[in-house]
Amino acid sequence: MKILKTLAVKVLAVAAIGAAALTAATAQDAPNGDAANGKRLYLADRCFTCHGRVGEGGAYNTPAPILAHTALPFQGFEGQIRNPVNDMPAFPPALLSDKDIADIYAFVRSLPGPGSPKDFPLLNN
Amino acid sequence: MPKRRNSAQSSRRNFLKGAGLAGAAAVAAGPPVAADAFPVAPQQRSKAALPGPRQIAAETMAPADDPVNQTSSGGDYMVDVLKSLDIEYLAINCASSYRGLHEAVINHGGNKKPEIITCVHEDIAAHIAQGYAKIEGKPMAMACHGVVGLQHATMGIYNTWCDRVPSLIFGGNIMEADKRAPGAEWLHAGVDIGQLVREFTKWDDQPVSLTHFGESTVRAYKIATTPPMGPVFLALDGELQENPIRDPQSLRIPKFEPVVPPVGDAAALAEAAKMLVAAKNPLIICDRVARTPAGMTNLVELAETLQCGVIDNAGRMNFPSRHPLNQSFRRSMIGQADVILAIEMNDLWGTLTHFRDRIVRTSHPATKPGAKIITLGVRDLFLKSNYQDFGRWQDVDLDIAGDGEASLPVLTEAVRRLIDDETKAAFADRGQKLAKAHLAMVEQSKVDATIGWDASPITTARMCAEVYNQIKDEDWSVVGTSIRLSWMHRLWDFKKPHQWNGNSGGAGIGYNLPASIGAALANKKHGRFTLSFGGDGDFMFSPGAVWTAAHHQIPILYIIQNNRAYHQEYMYLVAMAARHGRNVEMMDIGTTLKDPNINYAEVTRGLGGHGEGPITDPKDLAPALTRAIAAVKAGGPAVVDVVTDPR
Repeated sequence: MKILKTLAVKVLAVAAIGAAALTAATAQDAPNGDAANGKRLYLADRCFTCHGRVGEGGAYNTPAPILAHTALPFQGFEGQIRNPVNDMPAFPPALLSDKDIADIYAFVRSLPGPGSPKDFPLLNN
Repeated sequence: MPKRRNSAQSSRRNFLKGAGLAGAAAVAAGPPVAADAFPVAPQQRSKAALPGPRQIAAETMAPADDPVNQTSSGGDYMVDVLKSLDIEYLAINCASSYRGLHEAVINHGGNKKPEIITCVHEDIAAHIAQGYAKIEGKPMAMACHGVVGLQHATMGIYNTWCDRVPSLIFGGNIMEADKRAPGAEWLHAGVDIGQLVREFTKWDDQPVSLTHFGESTVRAYKIATTPPMGPVFLALDGELQENPIRDPQSLRIPKFEPVVPPVGDAAALAEAAKMLVAAKNPLIICDRVARTPAGMTNLVELAETLQCGVIDNAGRMNFPSRHPLNQSFRRSMIGQADVILAIEMNDLWGTLTHFRDRIVRTSHPATKPGAKIITLGVRDLFLKSNYQDFGRWQDVDLDIAGDGEASLPVLTEAVRRLIDDETKAAFADRGQKLAKAHLAMVEQSKVDATIGWDASPITTARMCAEVYNQIKDEDWSVVGTSIRLSWMHRLWDFKKPHQWNGNSGGAGIGYNLPASIGAALANKKHGRFTLSFGGDGDFMFSPGAVWTAAHHQIPILYIIQNNRAYHQEYMYLVAMAARHGRNVEMMDIGTTLKDPNINYAEVTRGLGGHGEGPITDPKDLAPALTRAIAAVKAGGPAVVDVVTDPR
């Protein structure tokens, strides 16, 4: 069975995306995006099916990285959408324009990131 | 308990006798009017000719060579054979082709060992047997109609085969053509019904005598329980079940003696030990090692002796989730290992390879160049050709045929003999680093689980955390999960052999609900608290299994991870559309379960279980779980419908 395998590859997937972004611009260099429209697109274009509605991550063939409040620079984010490094489907401009990607980026950046497990008693069982 | 009927005398001949007497009475008293008869105007009633004395005699009196009672039946002997094998349960969907066995189980066997488990579909019966065997460590039996019932059962049998689980499967058949009644008995008979399942059973037979039945059933049991284990099938002739035993003095019940599982060659295990001790970064990967409670203990001993990491693919309860050497969520270790010991692996190539599902499908090894691979297991000792469950070929350096669990103590001892003080210190250092990495991984899992904690739909991490909070102090046993749901293994403390029993084996949807109920059936007498997570799509393949759990008072907490889709397929469709640059937004057509949403709590209540949900607000989850757990403790199934985010 591959359940544990696929989720454990998560680390690799995140690392791959991170590596692709090493030379990219920082998040501050991202174009101004419309987070509200980005949310609409994120749901309509089914980004949530792999990455979760609140960007908590998920799994396709391999783990789909967490996107909530992503630290991934915009260029890395855009590169992964246009020419992904793994099994993630590529979204060409016919499906997502550059502005659409900027809006989605603004949305996932706006999502709350992880908290401290100490503040969640159920996670300390 | 099932209803008991006192209808043993309602044979067709007696029915006709009754009709004849009623007809005779009618001459004196006028035409009788049954309470449920259709109202018919008297003038329209046609006058049937009354039967004469010869006709009544022909219909009611048996000729001298046509007995109407018997004092024994082949089915009685069959039950005695099953009792000798300590078969606890017989899961069935009743069928005339094994009515002889069915009646004998109840009246000759007292409905104990085996006790009948009533199922509303043969696929449920097969999966119940699969789930039971993985908890109890031995097979139960299932019976079905030989043609139509067996066709229904095939998915469950295929999952059982792929999962290498022992199961004793019977299919009724009427072998002699001149004994078949017109109609259904011809449609439900076959020359070789075992052919239906031969490609995914370990052995099958069609006994033609009771002595043949006895020997073949004991042989079948032995074959099923010898590693590599698997389902076996026996076709049961209707006449053989129903007819009197002609010569009881000649019958005996064959003696069953379990096979001692094969241990790997001592020299080969010594060579493996040498390679593992000399390695800088040895790694153990495993899938279905533990077939008894000793399996986990044996694997822990080897890992601790080597102080090496263990990646558990979780086909069984192989390794404690919070053991410091558990590195199951650090797959990058595969690329760092210089020696890999793969034990009872199901898909070795798939585990050691990065595969890309793109327009051009490519793959490359996840292992580092020069890494040595040792395999230990029995899976390849029994394979078949048609179904490709053996996976892609994997080059290895040392291939040891031997049962993993049985061979581990020999291997561990060989490793111990090679360890000196210097290696011991190096091993301890390695173990400390692995323990640190394990703790970091657990902590990261907790951090990840916080994201979207209060979101609706509910995150799967929150769902699993809420459930664990309420069952952690029970003697719990998780016996199923939905596709790619692994938060339990990331967050929970799995440490007892019965706390996990793996997955479907064949990835055939429809496994999880009935197999979980089968596992719960096994857990019941041990007083364990059984729970399972399952997808909504899986649930709808065989929701009738809930009725079986209610009917037989099998306690189980079943959590539906309701993402309202066949979600893996949904994602595939999105990928297909994106690949073509076409409309992604329509990919919920044919992949989702909405409009209307299915109310699983109502479905459950309709089948006699306790239903909770649909729960969309995470704050409502804890009280719903509390109520459901109380229902389970009262002795029955409870289903909690949790509307979740996809994964």
